[in-house]
Amino acid sequence: MKRRQGWLFFIIFLLTFSIYLLINFPLQLGLDLKGGSQLTLQLIKEEGKVSKEELDAVNAVLDKRVNNLGVAESNLQTLGRDQLILELPGEQNPLSASRILGKTALLEFRTQKENTSSQLKNLQLQRFKLNDLIEQFKIGDKRNEEKSLLLMDNLTKIENDINFSSNNEQLFERLVETKKYISNEIANLFNKTDLSGKDLINAGRRQEQTNNNWEVSLSFSNDGGEKFAEITKSIAGTDKLLSIVLDGESISEASVGSQFINTGITGGSATISGNFSAENARELEVQLKGGSLPLPIEIVETNTIGPLLGSKNIVKSLYAAICGLIFVGIFMIFNYRILGFVSVISLIFYGFFNLALYSLIPVTLTLPGIAGLILSIGMAVDANVLIFERIREELINGNTLIRSIDSGFQRANSSIIDGHITTFVSCFVLFLLGTNFVKGFAATLGLGVVISLFTSLNCSKTILRFLTTYQSLRQKNLYLSKSNPL
Amino acid sequence: MTSFSFNLIKNKNKIFGFSSFLILLSLIGILYSTFNTSFKKPINLGMDFIGGNELRIERSCNEECENISPDLVIDKLRTFSNNKNLLNNIKLQIQNNNSLISIRTPYLTIEESNDLISNVDKILGPLNYDSKNSRIIGPKLGKKLLTNCATSLLVSLFAISLYISIRFDKKYALFALLALFHDLFIVFGIFSWLGVLLSIEVNSLFAVSLLTIAGYSVNDTVVIFDRIRENLKKDSDNYNKIIQISVNESFRRTFFTSITTLIPLLTLIIFGSYSLFWFSVSLTLGILIGSYSSILLAPSFLIKD
Repeated sequence: MKRRQGWLFFIIFLLTFSIYLLINFPLQLGLDLKGGSQLTLQLIKEEGKVSKEELDAVNAVLDKRVNNLGVAESNLQTLGRDQLILELPGEQNPLSASRILGKTALLEFRTQKENTSSQLKNLQLQRFKLNDLIEQFKIGDKRNEEKSLLLMDNLTKIENDINFSSNNEQLFERLVETKKYISNEIANLFNKTDLSGKDLINAGRRQEQTNNNWEVSLSFSNDGGEKFAEITKSIAGTDKLLSIVLDGESISEASVGSQFINTGITGGSATISGNFSAENARELEVQLKGGSLPLPIEIVETNTIGPLLGSKNIVKSLYAAICGLIFVGIFMIFNYRILGFVSVISLIFYGFFNLALYSLIPVTLTLPGIAGLILSIGMAVDANVLIFERIREELINGNTLIRSIDSGFQRANSSIIDGHITTFVSCFVLFLLGTNFVKGFAATLGLGVVISLFTSLNCSKTILRFLTTYQSLRQKNLYLSKSNPL
Repeated sequence: MTSFSFNLIKNKNKIFGFSSFLILLSLIGILYSTFNTSFKKPINLGMDFIGGNELRIERSCNEECENISPDLVIDKLRTFSNNKNLLNNIKLQIQNNNSLISIRTPYLTIEESNDLISNVDKILGPLNYDSKNSRIIGPKLGKKLLTNCATSLLVSLFAISLYISIRFDKKYALFALLALFHDLFIVFGIFSWLGVLLSIEVNSLFAVSLLTIAGYSVNDTVVIFDRIRENLKKDSDNYNKIIQISVNESFRRTFFTSITTLIPLLTLIIFGSYSLFWFSVSLTLGILIGSYSSILLAPSFLIKD
């Protein structure tokens, strides 16, 4: 009896501790409950598997970019061997994040090859025309057929000039693709140097004084500054240009004045002015600050949930959980009377312990997670049903109440443990192999199974023992429902 | 003294007949779906597995939202955009007293999806962006998810089988697993039919529900087999009789457990979020079939002629 009292105090202590935890460490809600955007990023590797080092390196670069994005409480984590998940709470339009994260942002400085001036001039002219077409497309009425035809005509002319034809049907995509081709061709007219984005220590942006365009400023490390001086010195005063290439596309070409013929451009800084809009400049700045990605990535899933929908989901889930608890409670009390009452109390304990564990570990609560929790209510009661059926049989066989209770718990033990293990096995596999969405379900159901083992075996028994210390609660008919009399 | 008495020995053939009927029906559904030219798959795979874009958003109307037919909306969309792939494959529904728009399209980039929303806003607006739910899944991820779900299922079925065969002798383990596959096959078949008849799709949560059903069904069967073993130890002479008694003794427990598990599931179906609706339905079906197979089918395998 003393040992049981120890358990009683232990359980009460656990309950108080759980409530303390819940008050001080509120539950973490997933995006489907509080609203926001979630992006799943897939690392792309042509051959072989993505290694742990590569995943970590990509993670580090993206982490820097995410920090510079300025979304509060954003969260980036790896998923499996070759995926990353980015959560942006409160963010309803993941477009800008996707643009910043999706680019490799490999920055190179290149010098012009010999005898390519005329080729370069032609390509630059075509690019200029193309930019003009893109501008016209953006401000124009997209439904105006005549205008579209005119743009298409002009585009075809440019395409003929450069011997390129885009397979894309959409006008805008064609424009973008052709521009990409030209920028790529321009970059090919330049020789690579050993100066790259790795030599940067910082990047910034500012508005140009002469017009509304933005420019991006670069600061080199000491080493990078020397390399830059060296490179500019080699082409200063010649007709060769310096090209700044991002992901294989030349974004800006500039000449170096003859005044730099002796020293090159010193001071360790440079600016890129390539007709940037404020937004483009910011994106490039963030990408350069984060460095280039060792492997390209692709955004394979985007999930956006409005805050209103999130709070609706919480209310709906709460209704479902509370109604589930109440109906299960009514069913148990109706069938098992005092025993049913005991199971309801241990169910309430079960709920508290579960939630406390979520805030302790911590488990982020999502919709599938709540489904797992609600489902585990049914499974937690299952153990009680097994025990109570045994107790009932013992009572019918004419055993005393205390003996019936003891042997009921004892004899149901092995079935309960078996059942819990099979469910736990499923959850464990789901958690290891499943996607983020599935993991939430597996985590709550799995934890539920473990806790229910404790509450259904230990809590129920302790509470029952405690209740039976009262003489008035020891009548057998309080334990057998009327429909199943002795 | 037990309140239930079911003559398992006599009704054994009826149970086998009933189960065979269900399995046959499921098989027909799966085969029909596989060889039908418009599906070509044993089950109607949803966006999770094939990629695509799903959008739900509410309209903010002052009083009642006016009624517009979805076809008209799509016609109007054509005047704003000429993305043929999108416009030819778009599915648009307007529900909840014309207030909830749900759209399914093939895979779109975030930019294209934003364009689509702003075009819909021009036609059906103003829209309540706080209620937006948008999911874009690339085709690459879809394939990955499908293999992922299939491996999870196989691995955990293997793990459960392993545990059962260590825990019980071969005969019991075999029958428990037969009952388990019976349950999974029928739930799968029902969803094949649902896909054919009501174009209900399955997503990754369906795979989760199958796994949960697997755990539950085996659990149920184990409890009954435990009881049979325990009773056979006491009296091994009347083999068939003991099995029947054990089943009847476990009847109340299985019945009650099913009900206490079904209650929370029903509250989820009624009150829960729409994204959990078919998940809960599939679990409910699985638990009904799982309870039946554990209490009646699995012990019938054990009865000797």
